[in-house]
Amino acid sequence: MDWLVQLAQGFIGIFQAGAEWWWAVFVGIVPLVVVLMTAFNAVIAWIGHERIENFGKFASQEGIIFLPFRYLLLPVVSVFVLTNPMAYTMGRFLPEKYKPAFYDAAVSFVHPPLGILPHVNPGELFVWAGIATGVATGYGDAAVTDLAVRYLLVGLVVILIRGIVTERLTAMMWKKASA
Amino acid sequence: MEALNSFLTRFGRLMGGLVGTMFQSGREAVDQVWKNILPFLAFVAVIVGIMNGTGLGTWIATLLAPLAGSIWGLLALSLIIGLPVLSPLLGPGAVIAQIIGTLLGTLFANKTLPLSAALPALFAINPQVGCDFIPVGLALGEAEPETVEVGVPAVLFSRMITGPVAVILAFLASLGM
Repeated sequence: MDWLVQLAQGFIGIFQAGAEWWWAVFVGIVPLVVVLMTAFNAVIAWIGHERIENFGKFASQEGIIFLPFRYLLLPVVSVFVLTNPMAYTMGRFLPEKYKPAFYDAAVSFVHPPLGILPHVNPGELFVWAGIATGVATGYGDAAVTDLAVRYLLVGLVVILIRGIVTERLTAMMWKKASA
Repeated sequence: MEALNSFLTRFGRLMGGLVGTMFQSGREAVDQVWKNILPFLAFVAVIVGIMNGTGLGTWIATLLAPLAGSIWGLLALSLIIGLPVLSPLLGPGAVIAQIIGTLLGTLFANKTLPLSAALPALFAINPQVGCDFIPVGLALGEAEPETVEVGVPAVLFSRMITGPVAVILAFLASLGM
């Protein structure tokens, strides 16, 4: 009988672990997301969709000069202001063909600022903090600050590259899909 | 009196407009959370439960941690985690990245790993970032279903290239640390 009890406990334990996580996120992050989103929606309404769409349109022009607007400035501002996961809503101001690349750039920027601006993604802080606390113990706090700044700067380069590569791949696959 | 009346009317209209916009914004926010975010969180919770409840997450992390010792190991790690079949599975809640990160942290704490490995490691544990979330992320950006169909593989394949590229960049950027 004992093994049956253990089996049942292990089985329900899996879902209890999941439920614990879900509740932590629900209580810890969802209220903040709702309030932030409400404020952001109102701000967009007041600025006017038109002006933001114009920035999207401005950023979605052909030509190499516009790549940093689309895959650096727009995602960075979105992530800083809107945080994960609301930052991806800014994709709506870009044409369809650039949406996957914008998402890729934006989502890749939700961890690099964590050492300096933990508010952008508090639920996933340990992507950064796991390594950072170890580095602090082994090499001191100064090393952590250094690491945080470098993480942010390299992150900027990486999201630009990701945006460009994904934009190319999207274009290639679009041709295949429509052929 | 006339002037006061017209002022009050305008003021009232302005306030009404403000409140109306805020209320509408709140309605949209709750709608989004209800329709996009909560169902997704529920799905991730099941995966997190399986990872944490069975010890599978710890097992995978222990398996991958020894790779972090060298730049080649980190490159290999980023390639493995960035595989298009694995990345959507490893993405949810950034659980894997957080567990491997925490494990690697212990190796930095006792100086098994050099400080210069920290920055490449941060990128090597994370080429899958957001790979589980592509359809939802695109939906939040109001993308058409066709865009999602093309966008999911585009992002997944892109990570096979940009994952290792990020590790190399981080390796270069940590020279002199």
